[in-house]
This record gives sequence, C-alpha cells and structure tokens, in this order.
Amino acid sequence: MKRDDQGVSDEFLNAFVDDQLDGAEKSQAFDAIEHDDGLKERVCELRGLKERMRHAYEHPPTRGRSAVKGRRLRTSHLQALVACLLLCIGGASGWFAHTWTGMGGDREMRRLLQSVQRNDVGAEPQKIIVHVGSSNPVRLKTALDETESLLDSSRRSGRKLQVEIVANGGGVDLLRADVSPYAKRIGLMQEKYPNLGFMACGQTIKKLQEKGVDVQLLPHTGVASSALDQITLRLKEDWVYIKV
Amino acid sequence: MKILSLFCRSHVFHDQLEQSRVRLYRVAYSWSHDVALADDLVQETLSKALKNASQLRAPELLNSWLFSILTNCWRDHFRQHREMEDIDEIEDYRCVHETTPEDEHAQTQIVGRVRGAVARLALGQRQVLTLVDLEEFSYAEVAAILEIPVGTVMSRLCRARRALKEMLQELASVQSAPTRQIRRIK
Repeated sequence: MKRDDQGVSDEFLNAFVDDQLDGAEKSQAFDAIEHDDGLKERVCELRGLKERMRHAYEHPPTRGRSAVKGRRLRTSHLQALVACLLLCIGGASGWFAHTWTGMGGDREMRRLLQSVQRNDVGAEPQKIIVHVGSSNPVRLKTALDETESLLDSSRRSGRKLQVEIVANGGGVDLLRADVSPYAKRIGLMQEKYPNLGFMACGQTIKKLQEKGVDVQLLPHTGVASSALDQITLRLKEDWVYIKV
Repeated sequence: MKILSLFCRSHVFHDQLEQSRVRLYRVAYSWSHDVALADDLVQETLSKALKNASQLRAPELLNSWLFSILTNCWRDHFRQHREMEDIDEIEDYRCVHETTPEDEHAQTQIVGRVRGAVARLALGQRQVLTLVDLEEFSYAEVAAILEIPVGTVMSRLCRARRALKEMLQELASVQSAPTRQIRRIK
C-alpha cells in the first residue's frame, strides 16, 4: 500500500474508489479504512466527487440535433453503401477488363500461330514451344485449340511442324491426370500428332509434392528440370516461343 | 451470402455507433463545454469510425476505439486552431482563467458548479477524470485511449480530484457567504 505524509496515498485511495485494485490490495484498503476515520472521510469525499461528476454530465445540453444528425449519419452510411457498390462495379469491370486482356493475349497467340502457319514451307521444320503458366480454363482451351488447328493445318499442307507445350505454375493442372479438364482430349491429340509433346515443370511438381499433393501426370508427359530451363534450351535451338 | 453477411455486419456496426453517440457526446461536452464543438467532434468521430471500420480489430474494443478516435479529433481541433496552444504543450498547464463560459451564471446549481470546476481543470486532467468517472474506463484503457503511461493517468486523476475538491469548496463558500444587507440611511 502506498503511503504519503497523510498515511495512505491519494493515488491508492483513488484506485480503491475506481475499483482498480487487485484482491489483496483491496483487502488491505478495507482494513485500513475500517480502523481510520480520516481515511473513511477521504474515501467518502472521493466517492462524493465521483457521484457529482456523473450527476453533472448525466444530461449535457444539446442543440436539438437528433433529426439532422441522424440523417447525417445515415447519409454517411448511404455514402458507404454507394462506395461499396462502386467498389463492386469497379472490381467487376476490373475482372472483365482482365479477362478481356487475357483474350487479347489469346488473340496475340493466334496471330503468332497464324504467322507461323502462313510461313512458306521451308527445308527446316517449324518448331514452336507454347508456354502455359496459368490454370485459367479459357487459356488452356485456347492453347489446345490453336495448337490443334496449327498441327492439323500443317499436316494437310504437308509442312513439317513440331510443337511442345510446356506448363508450369497453375498451367501444370493441364497435364495432371486427376485435375486436367482436357485429359481425354490431350490423349487423343498425342495419338493423332506424334510431333506434339507435353512437358511439365519439375520445380512446380516438387513444390506441389512438398505441400503433400500427389501429382500424377498424364501419360507420355515429360518432366523438365524446370520450365525456364526447357524454354531456354528450346530458344537456343531456334524454337519460336509463345506465352499463353 | 458473404455479401449479405457483410451488409448485416455493417448494419449492426451502424447501430452500435448510434448507441455510442450519447456517450461520446457527453465526454466531448465535458472536455469542451461547448455544445456546437462537442457535436462536431462526435460527428467527426462517427464519420471516421465508419470510414475506418476495418481497423477495428475486435468488436469488444469498439468502445475504447471510439474514444481514441474522439481524442484524436479533439487533438486535431486544437492543431487546426493555432491561436490556441497545442494540446501537447498545455497538457499539464493549469488553466487559471478568472471566469469560464459557465462559472458566472451556474454557480448556484451543483451541476453548473461541477461543470464550471471541470472546465477550469488542466486539459489532460479533465480528459482522464471524465473518462474514468463518466465512462468508467479502467486506468489501463484510459492510458491506451490517451496514449499516456498508466502512472500519468493516476497522477493526473489524483491532481484533478484534488483541484476539483478545492474549487467546489471555493464555489460553495462563495454561494453560502451572507449577502450584504442594504441599509437605508437617511
């Protein structure tokens, strides 16, 4: 218990009145107050002050604000609601814009593939490496559609063409037996076009396995040490690189 | 469903803010003793609370969070009005005005006397006293709201009550002093 020249300190008594003491301190305080009339008087004064404070501010004066203020707060709430809606609209447009950009990427891919397709038949076979890094089904489908179209066209025209699809990150889903939405289609394409190859990124598979994912790849799918290594290797061999 | 629950939470939050308005106003008024200013401070506090609702970490902290915002609004008010001293500089300065806006006309009533005395307390003492007595915050909560150590809360509270007691005794003695009899002298 803190003491000063009056015996028990004011801080201690204030804490007692404000119920800020722990059990042991409170017991000490009760004992001391019981045996000391001076302390009793000080505690009573402090309690009286506290009561007067509460009484003095129980009904503070106002300026008749309820209706206006309520409306103001409701307005703030409405503003928050409108802001939320605008955020949703912004988010949605962002998503569509993103999708549109994605389609732009697909259009770019088509353009590149078509340019390859238009090339004159030369002595050297065309070699294309298609990099799939996203699990976006639209992109996976576009990659397969365009690759198939290109292979079909080259076969019909008698051009030599070799295509390799390299997948990493989310794109590996395309080549996972239990996850791929196009497992059957890829199997059929592999049967139909022996000049088409699929490679999965070894690093991505390793990361998935570290997370406890059992990665089962589609039949006849190769595993590169990493997608980057494979792409670098192919670029050195003068392959055309297309990122989906 | 997530959006629906978000709107529901928003509605509950809005109700809680509305319920806190009276208490915020009471404390804002006890700090400023100015109806219009107290009203503006509360409005500003509620607007900021709505705007920064995401910053509230736990619903049970709403009360002390709101009073922290009120403290910041009060501080901002002083910073914007440079003709007044910065609140940090006058934290322990005892305002010894001869008269306050209230004490001249309100000495006859206990409510007016207490308000007048509180208005004459140093700002830091006034804040601690009102948060403890009116809102029953613990010393630790007051320390967090005002961003000062608990020891400072205790010493300010102690000085505030001591000063309040003295001022109320002075005011009471002024009121109870016998009025001078007017004698007619021929």
